Amino acid sequence: MSTLNSGRLRLALLALPAVVLLLPFLLAVVFVLRFSFSADTQSIDGFSLERYLGLLDPFFLRSVVLTLKLAALSTVICLVLAVPVAMLMAAITQPIWRRVVTSLILLPMILNLLIQSYGWIMVLGPNGIINGVLLKLGVLDRPVQLLFNEIGVLVGLVQTALPLAVFPILGSMRAISAQYLEASASLGAAPWRSFRDITLPLLKPGLIGAASIVFAFNASAFAVPLLLGGRRVQTMGVAIRDMISPMFDWAGAAAAGVALIAITLATLMAATWLSTRTTQWQGAR
Amino acid sequence: MATATSITTPVASPAASPATPRAGRGSFGWVMGTLAGLGLLIAALPVVIILIMSFSGGTNLDFPPQSLSLRWYGAAFDVLFGDKSEGTMSAFSAMTSSLIVGLITMLASVSVCVPLSYAVVRSHGRWRHLAELLFTLPIVFPLVVLGVAYLLMTEALSRETGVDLGLLRLAIPHITLALPFVLRNCLSAMSGVGVDLEEAAMSLGASPLRAILHVVVPLMKPGIMAGLIFAFIISFNEFTVTFFMYTIDVRTLPIWMYSRTVSSLDPTTLAISTLIIALDVALIAWVDKLVAGKGSLF
Amino acid sequence: MSAAPKNLINERLLHMDKHLELRGVSKRFGTANVLSDVDLTIARGEFVCLLGPSGCGKTTLLRIISGFESASSGQLLLDGQEISHVAPHLRGFGMVFQSLALFPHMTVAENIAYGMKLKGVAAAQRASRVEELLHMVQLPAIADRPVSALSGGQRQRVAIARALAVPPKLFLLDEPLSALDAQLRDSMQIELRQLQQQFGVTTVVVTHDQHEAMMLSDRLVVLKGGRVQQCDTPSQVYRKPANAFVAEFLGAANLLPGMVRGPGVIEVLGSALALPTNLPAGSAVTLAVRSEDLRFEPTHADAPARPNSISGEIDFLRDLGAKSELILRCGDERLRCHGGDAQFQSARCGQRVNVLIDAERCSVFAA
Repeated sequence: MSTLNSGRLRLALLALPAVVLLLPFLLAVVFVLRFSFSADTQSIDGFSLERYLGLLDPFFLRSVVLTLKLAALSTVICLVLAVPVAMLMAAITQPIWRRVVTSLILLPMILNLLIQSYGWIMVLGPNGIINGVLLKLGVLDRPVQLLFNEIGVLVGLVQTALPLAVFPILGSMRAISAQYLEASASLGAAPWRSFRDITLPLLKPGLIGAASIVFAFNASAFAVPLLLGGRRVQTMGVAIRDMISPMFDWAGAAAAGVALIAITLATLMAATWLSTRTTQWQGAR
Repeated sequence: MATATSITTPVASPAASPATPRAGRGSFGWVMGTLAGLGLLIAALPVVIILIMSFSGGTNLDFPPQSLSLRWYGAAFDVLFGDKSEGTMSAFSAMTSSLIVGLITMLASVSVCVPLSYAVVRSHGRWRHLAELLFTLPIVFPLVVLGVAYLLMTEALSRETGVDLGLLRLAIPHITLALPFVLRNCLSAMSGVGVDLEEAAMSLGASPLRAILHVVVPLMKPGIMAGLIFAFIISFNEFTVTFFMYTIDVRTLPIWMYSRTVSSLDPTTLAISTLIIALDVALIAWVDKLVAGKGSLF
Repeated sequence: MSAAPKNLINERLLHMDKHLELRGVSKRFGTANVLSDVDLTIARGEFVCLLGPSGCGKTTLLRIISGFESASSGQLLLDGQEISHVAPHLRGFGMVFQSLALFPHMTVAENIAYGMKLKGVAAAQRASRVEELLHMVQLPAIADRPVSALSGGQRQRVAIARALAVPPKLFLLDEPLSALDAQLRDSMQIELRQLQQQFGVTTVVVTHDQHEAMMLSDRLVVLKGGRVQQCDTPSQVYRKPANAFVAEFLGAANLLPGMVRGPGVIEVLGSALALPTNLPAGSAVTLAVRSEDLRFEPTHADAPARPNSISGEIDFLRDLGAKSELILRCGDERLRCHGGDAQFQSARCGQRVNVLIDAERCSVFAA
């Protein structure tokens, strides 16, 4: 610590190993970008936009639409469920229960996606719980197809992304002092009214943050559509995998990956822009 | 006021505290409670079902199970530890690979994140923002595209130079995925160690390096341990990127389970799954105790 | 610069057993001059306090001495040897930090023994030295306690014991008592002074509390804006402050504007006062008088005004038992005054008085 410069050098050296380990990631990103512009499908050779143009075929476009649809739906459902869950977590005072609920919520994120898909197979499958219960109650005479289609994928997406939604919202919620709600109650607002007029607007930043994360995560989902969609749900993630194998169109896969990132970012920016515009309009009123 | 007959009947005052039950409140609480319950149910259901079904006595997967038994655990142990003669296709080698890759991931990510967090926190916050941004990138990057990117790069590497990375094929992507979480843990651990403690050690005669070893590292221990465990959990459970990177010779336990269940789902796999879940829960509980409520796992 | 004549200072320096010397030490952070041209010589075994308001550079100066900051220019000499480029862990100084910086993961004994452990001292010797030190700071039984279980005063003493375990060449303390409550602080000041006398170690303390500085130090260095305002014994700094800032910082002083009218004559608030000054006629000056040095007597309509007095009125009067606290209004100025003798007992609010300025007990500075 004698002179400023040697201090800085020392700190830079300490940071170096981590940067070295991060390098493969950065290289991989650059690599995929370059590959997407390659003229050859199997190696990096030349420069061409062919692979991107190749994405404009109806097959891939269908997968784009499907991906966005599923991502949007799962985001909405996630938010609808995450707000009550966050309220529940904020209301729990005893640390042990808080731990239990936190672990329950975190589990889907950390546990193996494969293992969880087994669970869903047993819940949603033709011989699974839901069908079993509904058949026994006589509500249905034949099992309803909840798995290996979009419904199963949707459930899986909601489950794995729920923690991503709950924690940002919980953070925002903790910042809302109980006194705001008490004040609104003392002014005559019923709970639903308080929720609509006080809680939701104050939660807005948390909601937007949560929605962005969930949307981006689910748009790029791969394991859930693969495992719970059978061969029938071709989201962009699954389509990309198919391009690698069995199609061996590596450059195409690279292009599709870049397209996935671009489309996700574009959708998020449009949504953020829209939401800030609406607040401006509301503010002007 | 006492003598005059009251003209108005008492009305529930709007100034009642939010804790007082009222008619309108009921529907709000009921709806929110149900939705919260639904949310928790969706989160927990698959795991609970697997748990229950792994103890079932029968061979089919009908719920509820007709009988309970531990036979599938016996079968699981046989599969995992018994017959090793199947070579690279065996569960045992997949499990060992998982453990080795997990070990490499946790040791590598922690050993680089500790010095990095030191550098970031001691540089008075200028670089903290940049470091957090840079090292958070792997999380926001789509796993699928990451898998593709690593695959393409590894294949190109092996084609050009003939180098076979072996288990590093998996360890390198896993390290990438673990770094953001490990760094976050180390940063918060490091923030709790003031520079005055290092200066005190130096004033007593410790060289800067010894001051770090004697004072900073011991005080960071819980955070470092949490980082190690977290990195292992991430690596052990990773499926998506591993799915792109695995080969005949190099595969982890989740991949082995996938290939086994492509055709059908049998209770042995459920038993193995439960064992994995138990391991994960134990590790998470350990991390939670170490972090002791300071800062979230994100 | 000290008010004492220059040749006396040089005389003292010649005979001093110089231990630490700072020559022209300056420190710049970007464009800000945190320290400018600090010259300081400290004798062996001397207890020096660096005193000043926050931002005056005193902590920076201590950190330069300890090696955790480096000076932008100037020299730092220990026993005549330049040590500016010596790394802090090689200087052999004992330091007590403002936050105390006790190692939370070590017990009291491990904290105190740390310096010895680094030097390879054997375990048995370390243990006995720890006991010795704990006795010296009056904490005999707490060697094995974790640091978190100690009270504020106990932590303070452990920090001191730790710094003195391996006898240091210099003992440096940064606002060591600022975290303690008032009562504890007072008793710790006495203990610290006695401890230093016992060890005989050259000591530098940074503080913003003038009472503390006067309790502890052999010499006081008053700093403002990175410059040394005065460096002298506490009583000299108190009685003969070098400028208005020092006069006010060291104890409440009344500052009055005045104008030199002739040799030894200064006009203050309309009255001509005979006060010692070398400044030429027409110079604007500030007169500094301490509250306890002001005297007054009731005005008699027919008696002539006493020499060196200013007419005024008692605006505020409280009897505090041991003394009385007054505010005297002279023209537009309000003067604080306190004392316990007869004139204070018989004073009444609203009384017209002559405020007496004692030429021996006031200071005149160029404004």
